[in-house]
Order: sequence, then C-alpha cells, then structure tokens
Amino acid sequence: MSDPQELTQEALAAVARAITENELAAIEVDYLRRKNGRISSLLSDIGKLPPEERAALGQAANEAKRVIEAALAAKRRGLEEARLADIAETEAIDITFPGPPIGRGHVHVLTQVQRQIETVLETLGYQVELGPEVETEWYNFEALNIPPGHPARESWDSFYFTPDLLLRAHTSPVQIRAMQRIKEPPIYIITPGRCYRRDAPEATRLPYFSQVEGLAVDKALTVGDMKGTLLYMIQSLYGEERKVRVRPSYFPFTEPSFEFDVTCGICAGAGCKSCRHKGWLEVGGCGMVHPQVLRNGGIDPEKWNGYAWGFGIERMAMLKHDVDDIRLFYESDLRFLEQF
Amino acid sequence: MKISYEWLGDFLDLDGVTPKEAADALTRLGLEVESLTVIDLSQIIIGKVVEQKKHPKSRNPLWVHQVDLGGRTEQIIAGADNAVPGSLVPVALPGTTVPNGKVVKDLNIAGYSAKGMLCSAEELLLGDDHSGILILDSGKPGDPLTSVIPSQATMDVEVTSNRPDCMGHLGVARELAAGLDKAMKVDFMPAFTGKAEPAGRDMVKVSIEDADLCSRYIGGVITGVKVGKSPDWVQRRLRACGVRPINNIVDITNYVLLEYAQPLHAFDRAKLSGGEVRVRRARTGEKLLCLDGVERELTPEMLVIADANKPVAIAGVIGGEETAVTDATTDVLLEAATFNGPNVRQTARAFGLRTEASARFEKGLPAELALAGARRAAALIAELAGGAVHREWADVYPRPQEPVRIRLKPWLVDEVLGIHVPLEDSEAILIRLGFHVRILGDGEWDVLPPVFRLDVSIPEDLVEEVGRVWGYDRVPSTLPGRRRDRWTPSIPSMGRRLDAARQVLAGAGFTETWNPALVSGRMLEQLRVAARALRVSNALSDDMDTLRTSLLPSLVNVVALNRDRGRTDVKVYEIAAVFLARVGDKTTQQPEEPQRLGVVADAGSTAESGREAFYAMKSVLDACMSELGAAACTFQRASAELFHPGRCAAVFLDSRQLGYLGEIHPTVVGGANLEGRLVAMEIDLEPVLAAAGAARAQPLPRFPAIERDLAVVVEEHVAAGALLAAIKEAGRDILERSRPFDEYRGAQVPDGSKSVALALTFRSPERTLTDAEVDNVMGEIKLALEKKHSARFRE
Repeated sequence: MSDPQELTQEALAAVARAITENELAAIEVDYLRRKNGRISSLLSDIGKLPPEERAALGQAANEAKRVIEAALAAKRRGLEEARLADIAETEAIDITFPGPPIGRGHVHVLTQVQRQIETVLETLGYQVELGPEVETEWYNFEALNIPPGHPARESWDSFYFTPDLLLRAHTSPVQIRAMQRIKEPPIYIITPGRCYRRDAPEATRLPYFSQVEGLAVDKALTVGDMKGTLLYMIQSLYGEERKVRVRPSYFPFTEPSFEFDVTCGICAGAGCKSCRHKGWLEVGGCGMVHPQVLRNGGIDPEKWNGYAWGFGIERMAMLKHDVDDIRLFYESDLRFLEQF
Repeated sequence: MKISYEWLGDFLDLDGVTPKEAADALTRLGLEVESLTVIDLSQIIIGKVVEQKKHPKSRNPLWVHQVDLGGRTEQIIAGADNAVPGSLVPVALPGTTVPNGKVVKDLNIAGYSAKGMLCSAEELLLGDDHSGILILDSGKPGDPLTSVIPSQATMDVEVTSNRPDCMGHLGVARELAAGLDKAMKVDFMPAFTGKAEPAGRDMVKVSIEDADLCSRYIGGVITGVKVGKSPDWVQRRLRACGVRPINNIVDITNYVLLEYAQPLHAFDRAKLSGGEVRVRRARTGEKLLCLDGVERELTPEMLVIADANKPVAIAGVIGGEETAVTDATTDVLLEAATFNGPNVRQTARAFGLRTEASARFEKGLPAELALAGARRAAALIAELAGGAVHREWADVYPRPQEPVRIRLKPWLVDEVLGIHVPLEDSEAILIRLGFHVRILGDGEWDVLPPVFRLDVSIPEDLVEEVGRVWGYDRVPSTLPGRRRDRWTPSIPSMGRRLDAARQVLAGAGFTETWNPALVSGRMLEQLRVAARALRVSNALSDDMDTLRTSLLPSLVNVVALNRDRGRTDVKVYEIAAVFLARVGDKTTQQPEEPQRLGVVADAGSTAESGREAFYAMKSVLDACMSELGAAACTFQRASAELFHPGRCAAVFLDSRQLGYLGEIHPTVVGGANLEGRLVAMEIDLEPVLAAAGAARAQPLPRFPAIERDLAVVVEEHVAAGALLAAIKEAGRDILERSRPFDEYRGAQVPDGSKSVALALTFRSPERTLTDAEVDNVMGEIKLALEKKHSARFRE
C-alpha cells in the first residue's frame, strides 16, 4: 500500500513531465479513476485499518486527489495557453490564395438599371404600367397625334405584321392604355418595356431596345414640375452633382417638347472628349402632354394637364457603366454579363 | 443641315456674336447645333503675284513667285503654276498655321529661299479643290484675306421635322434674331421686279391635273440669261453647305433652296415641247432620264412635271436631263411649286433617292414660300446671269393656303411654364418670330402665325414659342404636389415580383440574358414551333423576320455562342414575352404575349449526367416557385417539340399546365452545332404570380421526429411519384415527409427492376412518437407498396 503523499509526488512529477493532453488524460485516469484509480485504491483496504486511522487516510486521499486535480487543471491551462500562443505560427495560411468560385449567376445589367429607375420613380409615387409589344396602329401612332403621312413617322420606322398591326416603336401606347383604364386623374405612371424600330444594328442603336417612359396627369402641372422630376431622377441615379437641361425639340405628342440632357460625368459640364466637347449628354425626350393626346386617352384637357418623358434603358446603362456598344446588352456573352 | 455663319450675317447683324455664341443660342432655341467647324482666315494675307519663274534646279516641277504683300515683296515657291503674274492669291507667311493644320515654315529649296505659302482652296478649307492656288476676284495686297473672304464657320444643325422653314438660312437667321433680340435685315417676301414683256403667263401654259398632290405651281420666265460660272461667294456658300457648284442658274436654284428652304427647278424653256407644263401623275411605262444620269421608271402613284409629250421632272424629287439648263441655254422656266409631302416622300423612297428638294417637300411646305423663293431666285438670276425677268408669271394656285388664327389666353404661358413671363415680353417674342398679335377686349389675344409656320395651330404651340425664346433654363425645377383625394395604392410591379425568381436563379448559378424577340422564321419552322408565329412583313433581314414563340431556341443559341468563346457549364435564363397568334378569337388581332421564364443549362455528355441535370432543373423550379410564393409544381411525363422524348415533363401548378421541363431534344442540340446535352425549362409566369401569396408561418415542431429509410425494389416503370403517393396514403397523420434520395440498378436487384431509396420522417404534433408506433406504420406502408406496386424491400 502506498503512501498518499508519495502517490501525490509521483503524480505531480508525471503531470510536470506531460506535454500533451493525451498524457494528462492518461494520468487522470491512472490516478483519479473512481474504480481502481491509484488514489481510490488507497481506500480499498481502508476497512482493515483501525478506526482511528481511517479518517486520517480518507482525508489524506482527498487531499491528494485535490492536489492532483489542481495540478492537472493548471497544466492543462498552461498547455492551452501555449497552444493558442502558437497558432499564429502553426496555423498560418497564405491569405493571398484566392477563394474558390461560388458559381453565382448574374442579373442582367438592364434589369438592374431598369429596377433602379423604377425604384427612384416609385419613391415619387409613380407606378409601373405594362402593355403589349405588338400594338395596333392607332395606339402606336394615331392616338399619339401622329396621323398617317405625318413627317415625324420617319423617326419611328416600324416593323409591321399587317397594315394595322406592328411592333410598338415606343412604350407611349401604354400611356394611352393607362389613361383609358384609370380614367380619372391623378395619374402617375412609368412604362418600362421593349420597343422596336426598323434601324440597322450598329454600336449606338439596335432594331430592338428598351424604354422607360413616365407620365403625370394632374391639375396645373408645369414645365418646372417636369424639370424637377427629371432632375430628381437623374440625381438619384447618377449623383447629386449632376445637372439637367431641357432643350426645345419636337414630338407630335407633347407641346412644348424637349430633349433632356445631363451634365457629362467625366468633365461635369466643362466639355471633354467623351461628351464631344458639349459638356452635356443627351438622355431622352420630354414635354407637356399634347391636349389631343389627353383627349385620345379619354382625359379632358380643360380640366387636367400633364407631362411625360422617355428614354432608353440601354442609354442609361451605357452612361452609368461606361458601355460603348449597345449590342453588348443583347449579345448574351457571359464575359460581359458577368461584369455586373 | 449645314448652316454657314457668314450667310446668316446677310440677315441679321452678327457683330459681337461669335459663331460659338450663335450656335449655343440656336441650340437653346431648339435648333440643335450638333457640331461647329470654325475656319479662321485672319492670319492669311492677300498677295499679288509680280513674277513667276520655273525653279531652275528642283527635280520636281516648282515655280518661284515674287509676291507683292503691300509695301514689300517676298519670294514664295509653289508646286502649282496657276498663279500667273497679276493674280491675287492668299498667302500664309512662315509661322502661320493654315486652316487644314499645316504649319508654314521658312524654307530653302535647292538654293532658293521660300518665305511662305500660296494657299489652295483645300488648304483654307474653302472647298475640295487642291489642283491649284486659290485665285481671288478682288482684294488689296497686304490686306488680311478676311477683307474679301470672312472667316468661315459652319454649323451642323438638326432641324426637327415640324420646322421645314428652318431648312434654310433665312429661317435659322430669324430664330437667331429672335433669340438674340436683334432686328432682321430683310423681309420674308422679296419685292417682285419682273418687267420684261410679254407677260410670263402668256409664254408658258401651266396646268395642274391633281390638285391634291400639287397645291401651287409658279412658272417664272427669264429670258436672255448668260449661263456661266457663279461668283466666288455663291460657290463658297454652296460648298460650305455641301452642294457642288454647277452653273450660275442651277447654283441660284440651289442657293435659294438653302436660303428659303423652297426647292426650285430651272428648265431650259426651249426644250419644253409645246411651251407647256403639266403637273400630272405619271403614266404606266413612262421613263425619265434624270439629272444624276439614271433612267427611272415611273408609276401612276408618282407626280411628274410633263411638257406636252412626256415627263421632264419627278415632282419634288429630281429634274430630267434633257430639259436641264446647259451652257447653251438662254431662256429659263423657273419652277417654284408646292407638292404634297407624303407623296413626295413615297416617291423618293420608292427610288431610294433622298434629295435636298425631297427632304424639304416631304415635311410639307407652305404655298406662300413658293412665291418668296421664286422672287428671290428671279432677282438673283437677273443680277448674276443677266436675264430679263418677265412680268406676270404663271401662278396656278388651286388650294390657297388657309390663314390660321389662334385665340390665346396669355396667362396660359405662366400656367404651363410655372414661371411668370411678363405679357409684354411674351408679345415681343411672338412679334420677333413673325407673329401678328392683337389684344382683344377680354384680355385674350388673337394671334396670326406667319405664313411660313404651318406647325403652329393651338395655344400650346404659342406657349412653346414664348418659352423657348424666353429660355427654359429660367424655369426653376419643382416637384408637383397638392392635396389629393384620389390615389392608386402601391402594388409591386410584375418585374419586381419576379426578382424573387431572379435571386434564386442567381444563387443557383444562372445568368440572366436579354435576347432579341425577333428571330429567324425558318429556324422556328425547322424546330417545328412556328405554328402560331407572327411574321414581320417588312423585316430588315431573314434572321429577324419572326417573333419568337419560345424562349428556348434563343437560349440554346446563347449556349452555343458562349461555348464558342471558350465557356463550359453555361447556365442561362431569360424572362420575357413570347408571341402567339390567337386561335379562334376574332375580337382582337393582337397576339397573346405570355411572360415566360426560360432556362437552359449544360447537362454534360452522358445519359447519367443528363438525368442528374434534369433533377437539378426540377430543384431550381421548385426553389423559384417557393420563392415566388406559389405552391409546388407537379409533373407529368409528356412529349413536346424541342424536348427529349424520354426526358420531358409537363409542369403543372394545380391543374393548370405552366410549360415543360426536360432535356433538349438531341436534334435541337445538334442543330445548334452543340455537343453533349442540355437541360431546360420554359414556363408561363403570369399564372404563377396569380396563384402566389405570402408565405404563412408554421409553428415549430414541439416533439422530436423519427427518421426511417426504406429501399423499395419495384419494376422499372413504377415512378417515384407513384411510390410517394402510396406512402403518403398509408403513412396516416404521423408521416411528416417522404423523399426519394437514390435510385439503384444493378447486380443486387433483378433485371427490369430498380431500387428506390426513400427517407421518411415521422412526427406527431401532440406527443413524442415511440419506435413501436412508427414500426407499425412502416409495416402498413410496406404492405401498401407490396399491394399496389408489387414492391419488395432491401435491408
């Protein structure tokens, strides 16, 4: 039978020698296991001792257990501290090595830009309206004050299926349809969608493209309100420092009519190569809705007036993302689409 | 169109107005100046050639000139020999940069010093003639060249289609004068100076047979003209506007066209047979050899000018060769007419020939302009070609121009612009633009637009006139807003709702594409999906002649394009409309335009990889439906064009078919020059959105689940869906979920059979289940599978 103090010394020496958790675990089992552990074995024959010695042995064994447990805990703390102190070295990795591809797909840049435009205008209370891409002559032209033979029809050379059925040349037919449906102003709508014109494909235009048009019909709207709306939209999309100007122009469905320009993002209006030294970039057309167009939509121009504007989504995306060839949007080359 | 700054100076005082300032003002007024080219001649001086000798040593032919520069003489060497002694020439001294960019140096050529350069028209950008030195009509040696030729500036002006009056310098000048608040130096209508006898109308017989197509025809007679070269200033201005000088008579008609925007034509009167002009439709089979040397066949839709026998010009488009003015011409019939715009456009289009004349007529010109143009041209011919203008011309005018009056409430200007424009300013602006304004007792205005402005007819047009001259940059930006008693509640757009599916697809590695809706009709036919396709009647090309009836052919081509460019594992989709002609619905001719989701992905090259890709596509669809808030789809084996006959499922939402999912048919894949396999789906989105709702929260389970796996051996034809249905029925209310996760064929199951491994989850919402309970139900499930599908079970 061993002496508790000897056992303690022996265990402490083993703990001191140990350098891994496994060794400590082995020591713990060897000395402290409840059944057949070396400490509990001290007490296995305790019944044979005289009663007056039993208490002392019990106390000595408990004391030995406490001391060994404390030594194990301290050693373990030491080992853990040493390990944590080392991982900066032992577990260091090459942080310049790239991560594996996560294989995510991309939403088309035109969808992204269209949604940004919608979001901005929705904050002003405009709602999205959609309409058919295959339209009747009346909605695409006549309702918009462009009768047959009108010289402006040249600007909307269209694809026809029958003399009365064509691919819409702009999303303006949706404005007429929306006025007819809503009937009683106020009307604040935007009309995103695909359009078609019979233009041969080149870097700046395609026979198919997408537009967003806006229409406000309410009481006592002004050119100033139209300018403010465009400015709010442009600043929200491109930054507060941008300016907008409207230039008189001509569309049969608005009177007065304008083109609207935005200050060049590169030279801020001073003139540079990318804006052809104009300082301004053309974005779209706008104007006060022609009274005849309101009438064609079933709205009384004596009671209500309105303004409208429109532009190409591709044009906005080209300005925002420095894309120099419109064909890239529809070519579906993943090397392009994955950039956005 | 090209506008010469020098020319504008004929009509208003441009002192102190730089070309750039003029261009900016025009742009602000609505005549957008696309570009401005300035030719600075101020550094060039006039020299007089005193002596010209051939360079004795030079191998290239060179001439040595002594040039008087006013008080001094310099030696200048040139390669051309046309600057003979006595010639007045433009001289650029060493150090000068001439307009074409050349820098003049102090040179010594084979022993002879050269102190400058004699300039050609091309070097001064005054024309394209580089064959010789520009010889001046007049000038004093030593004076700047600008004393005889002003510095040039040419603007490229975009004229909107409602303003044909601005397709000439006079109209542009009037705009500029109004914008700069300057007076016009000339009236719109020139005085008529014809005095020669007899009366012109007795010398030519004019008749209009179709007044709808020609509302006015003026035939002016000028006799005794001397055909020759036009003076420099005419030639220079024509060239600046891109028109080639021909002879003085033709040049004057072009000059007046560029000035008044009224196209004119000069006939050699002697060649008009019968001394007659008939404005009539062409007869079938008639032909005309035109001024450009092309013989054109005419049709009865076309209007011609004919003499007693035959057409001599195509009205408003181009003249005939035979009756053209030549050096031998002495008597001229000057035509100034007003032709129907759409008809001229149609004729010009039919010939693919857009001329300066047709470009103006097709916009619709006012008949009063014809008279102004004719008078201006007659005066110029008399001045520059010496003819006698006869009095009282033929002027057939069956449809006189109706005067327009507009009642304007002048406060409308403020109401529309949103800024106060003083009434006297509005009035002054209208007057500067040529309008007559009469103020009525009630404060309203009676406004008469000038005769050359057919585009102004309603009060809003007048607001525009005032606004653009007043300046829209003076209108402050505001946002509209008032107390509203009506509104439309905000509802998310279809596009925004579908973004949920876009998110799922992006997460699953699919990239969105936007493909043209116009595709090749032949391709659709070959794919046998052309039955309800709409064909464009005026397609640009046959690869874009038909509206697509499916998104999948475009997407298959996208895969092919990206494979070509080195990509593998292409996964793409598109959300767009397809177009299907209506069947049996006579209420509208417009097609159905269902919004669809089309998805295509690479599916490896083996039957096994294709099978896996099929199931992966189903997972993508399930995730999209769930994210869109719709119930799960069900599938039925189906066959469809474009799809693999054994690997195609019809996709249903409740009882409505949404579309198909499956492997693309091998012939379609091969037809796109692709190898391997593709998996795809195409579904209608509108029914999905209609059925979608917000997800409803389910309480989290309070009791543990028990999982059991089951390997079921059944004959090959028994579908997993059938097993699931049987399991569901037998599983009573404690079967929470069952899902097949593996299929096995091979040594351990008999031929013609397969083993399907299923994971079953049991749970009760009320208590913790015991193994015994679950064993019991499992027993019933097995029994049901045995009974219904002759299933056996593997351990």
